[in-house]
Amino acid sequence: METELCNEAGRLLEEGAVDYVIGFAAGSLKFTTTPLITSDKNDTVNLVNNRFITNNLAKYLLEIKGRVGIIAKGCDSRSIVSLIQDKQVCREDIVIIGIPCAGLIDLAKVEKLVGKDRDLIDDINIADDKAVITIDGKKKGFEARQVLFDHCLSCEYPVPREYDVLIESPVNKIRDDEAGKKKIRELQKMTPERRWAYWKEQFKQCIRCYACREVCPACFCERCFVEESQPRWISPAPQWQDNLVFQVIRALHVAGRCTDCGECERVCPQNIPLRSMSAEMCDLVEELFDYKTGLDKSALPLMTSYEPVEAEGLIR
Amino acid sequence: MEDNSQWQPRIVGFLCKWCSYAGADLTGTSRKKYPANLTILKVPCSGRIDPLFIMKGLQMGFDGVMVSGCHPGDCHYQTGNYRARRRLALTKKFLEYMGVPEERVQASWVSASEGAKFAQVVVDVVENIKAVGPNSLFSEEG
Amino acid sequence: MAVKKINKKNIAKVLAVWRREYNIIVPSMATDVPAFSEWDGEDISFLDWYRNTAVPPKSVVLPPMEKMMSFRKEKDGYKTEVSVNEDKQIIFGIRPCDAKGLAIIDDVFTNGYEDYYYASRRRNTLLIGLGCTNPQESCFCTSMDVDLATSKDVDIMFNDTGSEFIAEAFTAGGEYLLKITTGLKNATGTDMKTAKSVELEAKNKLTRALDTRGVSKKLQACFNNEDFWKQVAAKCVSCGICTFLCPTCFCFDINDEMVRKQGARYREWDSCSFRLYTRMPMENPREEKWRRVRQRVCHKFEFYPMNVDIFACTGCGRCIRLCPVNWDITRVIAGLPRQSDVKEKASALKG
Repeated sequence: METELCNEAGRLLEEGAVDYVIGFAAGSLKFTTTPLITSDKNDTVNLVNNRFITNNLAKYLLEIKGRVGIIAKGCDSRSIVSLIQDKQVCREDIVIIGIPCAGLIDLAKVEKLVGKDRDLIDDINIADDKAVITIDGKKKGFEARQVLFDHCLSCEYPVPREYDVLIESPVNKIRDDEAGKKKIRELQKMTPERRWAYWKEQFKQCIRCYACREVCPACFCERCFVEESQPRWISPAPQWQDNLVFQVIRALHVAGRCTDCGECERVCPQNIPLRSMSAEMCDLVEELFDYKTGLDKSALPLMTSYEPVEAEGLIR
Repeated sequence: MEDNSQWQPRIVGFLCKWCSYAGADLTGTSRKKYPANLTILKVPCSGRIDPLFIMKGLQMGFDGVMVSGCHPGDCHYQTGNYRARRRLALTKKFLEYMGVPEERVQASWVSASEGAKFAQVVVDVVENIKAVGPNSLFSEEG
Repeated sequence: MAVKKINKKNIAKVLAVWRREYNIIVPSMATDVPAFSEWDGEDISFLDWYRNTAVPPKSVVLPPMEKMMSFRKEKDGYKTEVSVNEDKQIIFGIRPCDAKGLAIIDDVFTNGYEDYYYASRRRNTLLIGLGCTNPQESCFCTSMDVDLATSKDVDIMFNDTGSEFIAEAFTAGGEYLLKITTGLKNATGTDMKTAKSVELEAKNKLTRALDTRGVSKKLQACFNNEDFWKQVAAKCVSCGICTFLCPTCFCFDINDEMVRKQGARYREWDSCSFRLYTRMPMENPREEKWRRVRQRVCHKFEFYPMNVDIFACTGCGRCIRLCPVNWDITRVIAGLPRQSDVKEKASALKG
């Protein structure tokens, strides 16, 4: 499957159909990949497709000028569609190479599971619904769902719906929405006071590195509300009150654009469970407006459209 | 135990200029009484309301935030209140999930002729907020 | 003072003795990431899992946010109240890479002009270094003139010998701490040998390297190579993780927060990776991402060595490990154009 991917990407550059190709290459650390952005067809041999291709590459479409060939998983392709809806990206300027995705490995989960840091693990392998982790030559067996990202367990669109080329491959997708939403269900069971206290504690750790915002394709504002000084909405100083307001408003601003790709939570250096906010927002959007992000590129974005009658009972 | 019977909630209300603000005006000219706990901020349209205003209101210490606009279909700018409806619905439900009691964020449609309704809305909002107590969500302790 | 030794089982007792006079700050997993925080008086399990923290210990003397003063407008002007932290504290378990980073930051904040807030915290802080036994795959300290087993920037250096630590004091402050801990035995020749072999084993585990030979000159030569820097910067997303988690980074912003008649002045971390960092009323000299990435690399490997004769990188590897896109400084440096392009330099001088 990787060969097909490399060939396809190389062909696009060779034929001049695109100026750049964006995909994934092997990372410089174990079990990582890194975005590959290249205009050189010889570079495309480095493209990989494995269980660690976590980045949402749609973000780069916002800054690369020219025609771009982009490798997209299911969630990425929906982010691309969302950007097309918001007129941030022109459909004609991109060639989407869709790759079906059966779910990616969450290294943080693996580390907790085996009690070892990632660089001390020899190998992590998934076959069907079983996972095998090898440490010091010894193999340990687990259920695949124990090592996959929560958002992958909840994913309903493993195969991209918007694409120009689809790399064929069988996808044995494990879907376990209950497991994927476990943290959220626990929060929903708490009293409002306990929930607020929980988030307060989490946001005391935030250092405002803005990694969550920068990796998110839905955050494409030239000037974020956080950077406004006239009026100054929130302080740049990372007080928990301002950190909390920042994330709540960010979640509300990207409502209808978020595809639950899970990047915000993965990149947070302080392990703040951001997906427990963004995934809940996705659920609310579906519950209130029967809408899922990025399924129809000719549809209006969620927050700029409306139905004659909706959200009854919430506004008197 | 603090005696909250003397405590009066402070509520900020974002009223759209064309319907709700005029409606509130009518309440006054009709000499209908309503609680003085409300601080009114006029906005051109309920569609102007960014959820940020609601969060800031709570962060600054208001015990409740209310938003009021034209009835769906009657918006002076045609579609502003439809956008507001989506935003407010999401904001209410999401803040509830975060742990903000739902009574603290309330929204209503009040037209320019509904002076009586406006008074009732304010009465109800104040009662609801009194029931949940003072807002200490963002207060600093530890 | 002779080198002492402490059984690992007695560490809690030793810390308890020091705790009578100092706040003790140790590695902890209380917030679900390894971080330095105040010791709870009991738990020393960090000795089992600690390799290095996500946020470096610079956060103890240069916190992500600190209140500088509060002020209130009164009838006859502003009344101000300066906040400063002068609590005596010990950072236990600082790694040599982080200790060197702290020394670099010390130089910025206390050499010549003394930053009141930083200096107040720093002069009341003692550093207990802890030699590494299990470096991470992102570590490359030895390439940056940092010895993973010793440091001249700490007050006491602890080294692992298996069931014990040997402890060597380098400053009066360190000697004082060892003095008030009664009953410490002297380390024997065998202890020192064991520590050395543990050190060698650790050094052999390092897998990452960075060749610093001629790097400043190479960077000078390719400064104007826009295509090169655009390629280097392509996947960066301009978040602040690398700068915030770097032991040698120290940029900050100061903001006044005021509500009606009272408020406070805060200092908080800032990052040259942010697009608005260099924004001024008329222009932003680093509007484009590649300029910011170039500035970061050159600051660490060209400007700093040229001005202060030291690399502003200690090889801790946090930027590699925690970067959302696995941008890797060792690969960037290894990929610098080899030939110094004389033509390049000439055109730079002209324009």
